[in-house]
Amino acid sequence: MRSATLPRASGRRGAFLLTLIKYAILVMVAILCLMPFVWVWSSAFKPSLEIADTPLSLPREPTLQNFANAWVQGRFAKYFTNSVIVTVPIVGFTLLLSSLAGYAFARHYFRGRQTLFYAFLLGLTLPFTSIMIPLYYTLRDTGLLGTYWAMIIPQTAIGLPFGIFIMRAFFQSLPRELEDSGRVDGCNEFGVFWRVMLPLTAPGMVTLGIFSFLGAWNSFLLPLIFMQRESLRPLVVGLMFFQSRYTRDFALIMAGATIISVPVIVVYIIFQRQFIQGLTAGAVKG
Amino acid sequence: MSVRPSLRRSWRRQALPLLFVLPALLVYALFVLWPFVNTIHYSLTDWDGAQPVKNFIGLANYRDMFADPLMWLSLRHNLIWIALGTLTPVVIGLVLANLVWSGVKGRTLFRTIFFMPVVLASVVVGIIWHWIYHPLFGPINVVLRNVGLEQVARGWLGDYDWALYALLLAGLWAYFGFCFVILLAALQGIDMELHDAAMIDGAGSFKRFWHVTVPQLAPVLTMLTAFTLIGGFNVFDIIFVTTKGGPANATDVLATYTYRQAFTLNEAGYGATLTMMITVLSLVASYTFITLRERGQ
Repeated sequence: MRSATLPRASGRRGAFLLTLIKYAILVMVAILCLMPFVWVWSSAFKPSLEIADTPLSLPREPTLQNFANAWVQGRFAKYFTNSVIVTVPIVGFTLLLSSLAGYAFARHYFRGRQTLFYAFLLGLTLPFTSIMIPLYYTLRDTGLLGTYWAMIIPQTAIGLPFGIFIMRAFFQSLPRELEDSGRVDGCNEFGVFWRVMLPLTAPGMVTLGIFSFLGAWNSFLLPLIFMQRESLRPLVVGLMFFQSRYTRDFALIMAGATIISVPVIVVYIIFQRQFIQGLTAGAVKG
Repeated sequence: MSVRPSLRRSWRRQALPLLFVLPALLVYALFVLWPFVNTIHYSLTDWDGAQPVKNFIGLANYRDMFADPLMWLSLRHNLIWIALGTLTPVVIGLVLANLVWSGVKGRTLFRTIFFMPVVLASVVVGIIWHWIYHPLFGPINVVLRNVGLEQVARGWLGDYDWALYALLLAGLWAYFGFCFVILLAALQGIDMELHDAAMIDGAGSFKRFWHVTVPQLAPVLTMLTAFTLIGGFNVFDIIFVTTKGGPANATDVLATYTYRQAFTLNEAGYGATLTMMITVLSLVASYTFITLRERGQ
């Protein structure tokens, strides 16, 4: 159809109209994205009665009572601590193990390198579902079930393929001369890695760290199965059980959802450049 | 030190890199590869998680699975989820990415906002939409009642015919931003000379989009599709948090059904067989697309 070409003759008014439509669409989608956030976060500050009365309006008499209730009676203080206790080592181990392995894959030739790398790549396409059942019984039989390790180790393990993939790419982008100059200066092989090369991949570590943090903080199925004891639940699982228990106290649930989502949104907004760069570098180039 | 230089060199070349890989390899082999091998093993047994012995029963589980109407129903829901949930966010993402790419003020702001739902835990997404669909004071029903469409208002997630699609919409809300960001980055990397050449040849904006832009985006589109397919065969969180597969299995998918079999009914053997179904579908999907992509390049 020829008419797809816009008639240039319509000139400035046509162009103005097009721009207007363009912005209208973008703003509308932005509102649809933001509205649920505004709704949840503002409901968290509403007294329960006000929600039943005027569910959609902004809070008239904002209160922190819902947060206090969720934090103490809802045991969100405990769940928050649990989330931090598992997330910190998961991010740390993922960074350490991925950069060690990524460095070897990027900078050294050794027998079996290709095979090993493919073995790790398999993990990029293998869903967690594929391993969850035997993993549960392994953790049970080794006595790790019922400890924080039941989440820390498996979550680290399933993050390694992606971590190695990213760190390898970052190490590959560093010039060879740096490594040699480190050797000339008398560093041993580990020193070359630790003191010369690793600091240069800081942007890569930040990117991977954010991915690893979000993955651990938001992870649901894994702790649902492996962290069944109430005292071990991370926030996300805590919120799910919380919801089924206080199913009618809407304001309390929204306070819980706010406690989980605010740290994630803050981290995302602070690091969004690195985050989106990492995401698109992997997808567009890799 | 009387170590021969060649030995030293082979230490440096062979053993040392392996030492760097070893910690990751150990964790990965013990907690990913070995469990996967065990999944295959379990699927050939009738183990219930408690007996000391795992009875080998050959392919009996697989025979049962292919005769299990609930497996087929769940798989059907996965396929609906994939058919609608793959195409729609990619198309929406592509349209929006094009709008932003064609030059707007506040590009970063739009990107930040569109991506916000993506970083949210899917449990939170589920809970948010659970309340959006609430029969009494969920915003959708409130609005419907206020505009006089009272008869359309319903408990969306409790409705046998609507629940799956209602959840799909929530999934779409939480995912299209991902497609948008990836496609926008890809658009920024395309070859503008081809575009200009097509313009000089008199191609309209739609034609340029279809014949010049889209082919250049093909590798990224392939990757996104593969990604969404794998996600579609594994969807769990958002459904489990809201409906747990109900009402009357209306939103059951392979992962929720597998979870029930494996961890509520303790059918470790049959659960593993269902897991193998998900695994094979995911691997076939991703390898098909990787092959397609490599052929394209």
